[in-house]
Amino acid sequence: MCLQRTRSFRTQRHSVNRPPTPDAADDQEKQPSLHEIINIKMIESGEKERLMELLRERLLECGWKDEMQNLCRTFIKKEGRNNVTLDELIRAITPKGRASIPDSVKAELLQRIRTFLVSAAL
Amino acid sequence: MSTKIKLEPPPSSRRNFLIPTPCVHLTDFKSRHGTAPFRALQECLRVKPLGRAAIRRDPPEEVARCVTCGGSSRSRLYACVTCAAVSCHVIAGEEEHSSEEKMGGENEIAAVSIIKKVRSSSPSHAAEHAEEIGEHSIAVDVDRAELFCCVCADQIYDCDFDAAVVISQTAACGGGSIPAPPENLRKRRRVDYRPWSPDPHERVLITRSSNPLKQLSETDSMPWGLRGLNNLGNTCFMNSVLQALLHTPPLRNYFLSDRHNRFYCQKNSCNLKTRVVGSGNGNRNLRLCLACDLDEMFSAVFSGDRLPYSPAKFLYSWWQHAANLASYEQQDAHEFFISMLDGIHEKVEKDRRKPQSQGSGDCCIAHRVFSGILRSDVMCMACGFTSTTYDPCVDISLDLEPQQGSSARPGSAKSHHSCNGEANSMSSNQTCGTSTLKGCLDRFTRPERLGADQKFFCQQCQVRQESLKQMSIRKLPLVSCFHIKRFEHSCIRKMSKKVDRYLQFPFSLDMAPYLSSSILRGRFGNRIFSFDGDESDATNELSSEFELFAVITHSGKLDAGHYVTYLRLRNQWYKCDDAWITQVNEDIVRAAQGYMMFYVQKTLYYKASEKPVS
Repeated sequence: MCLQRTRSFRTQRHSVNRPPTPDAADDQEKQPSLHEIINIKMIESGEKERLMELLRERLLECGWKDEMQNLCRTFIKKEGRNNVTLDELIRAITPKGRASIPDSVKAELLQRIRTFLVSAAL
Repeated sequence: MSTKIKLEPPPSSRRNFLIPTPCVHLTDFKSRHGTAPFRALQECLRVKPLGRAAIRRDPPEEVARCVTCGGSSRSRLYACVTCAAVSCHVIAGEEEHSSEEKMGGENEIAAVSIIKKVRSSSPSHAAEHAEEIGEHSIAVDVDRAELFCCVCADQIYDCDFDAAVVISQTAACGGGSIPAPPENLRKRRRVDYRPWSPDPHERVLITRSSNPLKQLSETDSMPWGLRGLNNLGNTCFMNSVLQALLHTPPLRNYFLSDRHNRFYCQKNSCNLKTRVVGSGNGNRNLRLCLACDLDEMFSAVFSGDRLPYSPAKFLYSWWQHAANLASYEQQDAHEFFISMLDGIHEKVEKDRRKPQSQGSGDCCIAHRVFSGILRSDVMCMACGFTSTTYDPCVDISLDLEPQQGSSARPGSAKSHHSCNGEANSMSSNQTCGTSTLKGCLDRFTRPERLGADQKFFCQQCQVRQESLKQMSIRKLPLVSCFHIKRFEHSCIRKMSKKVDRYLQFPFSLDMAPYLSSSILRGRFGNRIFSFDGDESDATNELSSEFELFAVITHSGKLDAGHYVTYLRLRNQWYKCDDAWITQVNEDIVRAAQGYMMFYVQKTLYYKASEKPVS
């Protein structure tokens, strides 16, 4: 995801509450990444939930969800029902999943996120 | 190294889903804490409209963060069921947020260093938590309300937990407003099938009161009951349906067992009010009864005589019943089918003089065989309140899936490859390009968004809201008839046209995924819970399996076409084209353009009779 960085974000980054430093043994102070900051803002405003619902709807409409379910079934049939963990399944289908998302869906969501960023920066 | 979760049906399995055997950590956890922690979680369950469940503390908008790294953007965050610590989980070796590399400027160094950190150290903080504190292995996914064992690194399942979630979900839907399903008869107990054979007295009665059928000739290899039907003038629509019905096992058995004796029925009808036919024809053959005519046809068709039969009497009777369709014009086979079932029902109901609920199938043989119950749920998208109705149906009309090509998908080329070897499991036609019956059924039971102009009045919100509608099958009929809507009517052009697109249909069909219990279960996240229609009967699994026995095909145009029926007898296929019956290869049938498909339940069950044995 390629983001347009503006001056306002650079200044904003410092004003975000940082999570408490958990580990004394851990020297390097963890800066919340841009990714984290945006994520938090989106959750707090409820935008993330709305976008998730939108995404679910789009991916259902275009048949992506059915495709993924079939990929899962194929994988489980091949490996054996008792030989598959959740992590293994996710690892197996994630690359295909990411690759097969329609461009229109990506574009729509990116547009929504951009709009959100613009409105949040104000 | 993780222990794999084994899937086995528990010994006393009386459900039609498998309950996975719990891992040692879950068993251990439950033996120490019982069900209390799961019930406590109920307080933290936040159910969104339409059922999605999440685990949150108050305040509701508080962002869940990992106690170890403070991160909140991982796709999976787990809350320890014992101490409520939230940790993130990353799959070992998985690269997360590789896109961070794309960011330029001074942030790049920070981004790269974070990634390096993720790869080098143990990535899953949830696993770390479980390692550090030995007894804290059970966690719950905060966004999905699903259990996870951090040591096994796999999803786990628990009845008590799922029950708690489903109860919260149904409460949010305004649950409790579901009407009792219509077949609320007292459940008759299931009995074993006991084959009947006549005792000596009955044997005498039978020999005395019947004429033996002539033996089939040596050269006749066709099974009993195959007999051509003469076309009486564009009556292939009727012939095709009759052939299918003559070989519908429960219907055939009913009539051949003399359950509707036409002589007896006609004699009885003298005493009852009858339908007046025409004017001044009061004396001749006024006792209209489609079942009697059908009985006569069964006797004729199963007599062993191979000369084509002319169903003139039946046609005449049917004209009297469906006066608006009485002509020699071409008709629609499906319309005839419905009309005929209706005719059989009407006569029977008139005789008994008490209306019976169609859904129970107790009213007449037509409904006993074909009637099922459909469930329709309308869900408010704002609050989740669900309004449910049950309706009987004698068949299911399915829309053909829309033409492929509406969504441009760059990945579809890749997935095409994976689907070629999985012809059966592929139900999404948009990938493979072929319409299938299962695909149509999937669409039939998919939640459909009612448009903004069709807002439904929500009882909970007390205002019209956008809604979601979903169909499912509450009760399967003995025989399922699927009608494919091949006739498209265009309101703009004010004309109809026929859709010739090929539809693939299976010879064996499992209807379980389309049952209300399955649809409901899916709506609530596939929880281990007994849903509407789940009968506590292990044999319920079998009764959702169906076998194809008849296919009615249509060739030609909307107003000028021809119907042909393919019948499956003793696993051989026969083409019934009016008076001509020929044996055909099953590939011919597979390639045919199906218009109506008839499936019968693979296994029939018997219920204790309510009538005392005389």
